[in-house]
Amino acid sequence: MAHKISSLSKGYVVFLLPGVFAFLLLIVFPFLANIGLSFTKWSGIGKPIWIGLANYDKAMGDSSFWASFKNNLLLIVAMTIIPTIIGLFLATFLFDYIVDKFGQGVSSFFRAGFYLPQIIPLVVAAIVWRWIYQPNWGALNGLLKSLGLDSLTRAWLGDHSTAMYAVMGMMVWFQIGYPLVIFMAALQRVDPELYEAAALDGASWLQKFFYITIHLIRPEIYVVVLTTAIHALKIFAPIYAMTRGGPGKATIVASYFSYQNFFERSNVGYGATIATVLTIIIILLTTVFIIVQTRREQ
Amino acid sequence: MLTKRWIATFVAVVAILSLLAACAPTPAAPTVAPPPTEAPTKAPAETPTQAPTAPPAEKRVFKVWHYEVGYAMGDSWADALEDFKATHPDVEVVFEEKTFEQIMETARMILSSADVPDAMEINKGNATAGLYSKEGLLTDLTEVAKERGWDQIMSPSIQTTCRYDEKGIMGSGKLYGVTTYGEFVMVYYNKDMFEEYGVEVPTSLEEFEAVCDKFVAEGITPLTLGALEMWPQTHNWQELLLYKADRDLITNYQLLQGEVDFHGPAFTFAAEKFAEHVQKGYYGPNANAVGYVDANAAFFQGKVPMNLTGSWAFGEFMKQIKDFDWGMFLMPGKKFNTGSGGNLWIVPQNAKNKDLAYDYIDLALAKKAQTVMANAGGIALNADVSQVTDPKVRELNELFATIVKNDGLAFYPDWPVPGYLDILGGCLQELIAGTKSPTEFNDCIAGPYNEYKASLE
Amino acid sequence: MVNRSLIVNGTVKSISLIALITLLLIMVSPFAIITFNAFKTEDELYAHGPLSLPQSLNFKNLRETWARVDYTTKLLNSLVISTAVAFLAIGVSLFNAYALGIGRVKGKAFLLVFFILAITLPQEVLAYPLYYFFKSVGLYNTRLAVILVFTVLHASYGTYLLTSVFSVFTRELIDAAMIDGCNKMQLLFRIVVPLSMPSLSVLFVFFFIWTWNEFFLPLVFLVSNAKQTVPLAAAVFQTQHETLLTPQSASAFLGVLPCIIFFILFQRTLTKGITVGAIK
Repeated sequence: MAHKISSLSKGYVVFLLPGVFAFLLLIVFPFLANIGLSFTKWSGIGKPIWIGLANYDKAMGDSSFWASFKNNLLLIVAMTIIPTIIGLFLATFLFDYIVDKFGQGVSSFFRAGFYLPQIIPLVVAAIVWRWIYQPNWGALNGLLKSLGLDSLTRAWLGDHSTAMYAVMGMMVWFQIGYPLVIFMAALQRVDPELYEAAALDGASWLQKFFYITIHLIRPEIYVVVLTTAIHALKIFAPIYAMTRGGPGKATIVASYFSYQNFFERSNVGYGATIATVLTIIIILLTTVFIIVQTRREQ
Repeated sequence: MLTKRWIATFVAVVAILSLLAACAPTPAAPTVAPPPTEAPTKAPAETPTQAPTAPPAEKRVFKVWHYEVGYAMGDSWADALEDFKATHPDVEVVFEEKTFEQIMETARMILSSADVPDAMEINKGNATAGLYSKEGLLTDLTEVAKERGWDQIMSPSIQTTCRYDEKGIMGSGKLYGVTTYGEFVMVYYNKDMFEEYGVEVPTSLEEFEAVCDKFVAEGITPLTLGALEMWPQTHNWQELLLYKADRDLITNYQLLQGEVDFHGPAFTFAAEKFAEHVQKGYYGPNANAVGYVDANAAFFQGKVPMNLTGSWAFGEFMKQIKDFDWGMFLMPGKKFNTGSGGNLWIVPQNAKNKDLAYDYIDLALAKKAQTVMANAGGIALNADVSQVTDPKVRELNELFATIVKNDGLAFYPDWPVPGYLDILGGCLQELIAGTKSPTEFNDCIAGPYNEYKASLE
Repeated sequence: MVNRSLIVNGTVKSISLIALITLLLIMVSPFAIITFNAFKTEDELYAHGPLSLPQSLNFKNLRETWARVDYTTKLLNSLVISTAVAFLAIGVSLFNAYALGIGRVKGKAFLLVFFILAITLPQEVLAYPLYYFFKSVGLYNTRLAVILVFTVLHASYGTYLLTSVFSVFTRELIDAAMIDGCNKMQLLFRIVVPLSMPSLSVLFVFFFIWTWNEFFLPLVFLVSNAKQTVPLAAAVFQTQHETLLTPQSASAFLGVLPCIIFFILFQRTLTKGITVGAIK
């Protein structure tokens, strides 16, 4: 038996070769190059000048940098926490109740509709949401006015106290479909007999939800939470297309700040620094997460 | 078996697609060979081109890019391109429409690769043209300009933005770019609304404020502003700065030299005046949330009587305004005005057909194309005035000529520092929102400016 | 008793349906807006703004914008790139996950983190180094460069997901196959692939859509108009210096339409579902 297992593992290494090679070439080396660049002052062309840790000093004291991370955290709320929770409830609702009462077709129809925002390019979504948020003729203020809620109207993207929430709103809309699809698929492998047994025991809907559903689709929940959190930390397109980080710096995020340094201010070294710090934070988060996930699975 | 079929299909599709992607010849942009019956107006021998060393069957390809399609400049350059095709029947012309953003972000990468066009449009200023010239990416056009008379068509103040020194600062040094038009900022106004509310075109800043106050009192927002985009308000702000600036301040500010005191009288005036105008309601309550296109639309729809923006939008205004009579005036009572020569035609250092590029620039500066520009609502440098039909266009060009004659061109405030547009615009958004006081605003813009200036030493 | 619960059930049923439909309408309304605007005339757009209903079906705007951005070429480019990436990324993910999840090679955890590294990187990190790399091998301004980059980036996600799926494959099946004399390639393609087809199909849909909608790296690596993709063409008119409303609307619609068509065609694969440890 032992002999068989070791021969089993040996021959598999060859399957890793193309992947590892491609990753080394296109991911690892550029990442190392980026780290190298973070120790230099460079405009993108010509020779980089070595300046040691000066960029890192600057980043640690740069209030814009840390302010941008605050917005990333807000986006984790908008892209991870809220969509996952809504996704869970909606998936269960569609999967159990709707399928029961209206059939599979209706359930699939709704799922497709909720997933639709995920399929359009964020740059295009951003322009439409700018129209929705327009203070004078936009749909949101229009809706509020028609409901008699004039006092709630705002200059959504122009007011620094609402701008980030406006962006978050769009991201919730964008993101709901992803957890929904994954969770609905995951629910397919939950044995319905478990629910029946629990019902016989007198469990309420909420108890069934927590102790059976969530427990069994844990792996998918982990995947969704991790991938959406990483996406939230890396987010770029909506800020680029909707607000350019404004008003003032109200909606700036780490990735956009690094992009500004890379491409607008020709401050490639500093941009590389910000990107490196961001990557390290993401790697730490991912590692901790995977450790927790693997521990829990045991 | 099903799996085998899947695998076979999979492999085949991947192979075909990868092959397609890697090896497919890129379809050239549609070009029109001049119809054989059309006799070229110029004999080809007149424009000496280097004889290609390749066998005669091989056509030379002239690649040209710009991002002004749909504007007067674009019309004029398209006309010049047609002339070029007529005079260079043996050359295949490939034109690609780009966008401002694309070029701004990736110009350095493009210019240092082998995929450069022979002639392309870039933005003027230290942060762009200056930077590229410093890095050796642009061809020095000084001699060619003298030979072909370009430096006669472009006046010295227009040439300010075409010349860059070894540090990449504009104003002096070699000529790296050629501009074929001018641009400036002014106030477009709705004549009908002015008449309706009994106000006249102001002749001083105080009168301008009085006009605005009148509209505010009637419940109308006087000035439309798309502050969401960050850049529009930089023009409003600089116009106010120019009431207290002199040529020395402008030069020092633009060339990053001497002393620029962001808390001195000029900058203090600009910040306080701007804040005052915002508080008085001149820009309405939601400027920070309105985009540039929306702001213009509000003017077109006759909702807002005044729009302080640039001559680049003149053509669009001509097309879109049908319901009311409109006119233009400069912010009154000062010598300086935001404006400059237009974007630059440059010839990349890596270009393969520089002579063709020079021929093209000749044609873009020639009277014919220039008159097309003028008639389309652009500010030409070399148009045949007698051929300009629209009185508004003539008025536009006259306004510009006046500024140039008075040496009043004050350039654009975002030029000195790379990335300054978003910084200045962002700080202004905060001034508009009231989250920064005028003093804090001046701090906000001074920091990055001084930082960049220090880094140049 | 029965009547009351029936009525309650009926009301709950209607309310839930109405709530769902309302939510759905909110989700879908931006698409409606994009569609309306594409069919308006220039005058309508300026006169009534982007949130009004069009007065008639006007195709002029769409036709002009289609020609102006050479949309056919952009469509073809996007199709080629997205399909190639989808297949290649699945291939790489499959091989990786096979080795990690079923082969249980040593250092599995480390290798997993290694592969996941790709999705932790913000894309700006890759721009300059890859620009220099591609330039040096003559791949700058080629679709192949974009295909290679996104294959690797998406294979990262695919590896993570498929490894989780494969890790819980029942060993009995695999051991049985090995005893029967299957070699590793046969095991992969005769047993593992068919069993994980639902996961692979969903990955195909994800990868295709994600690649199609990519904007930043294609902007950096694809210089010639002839090589650019649909989102780039759509983004052309969303720039801050664009003053013309009509191409903005038309290009938004053209940018979204292929995605919707693809989705309608392939949304049933999402029905098959992606499952972690589903194989019984």
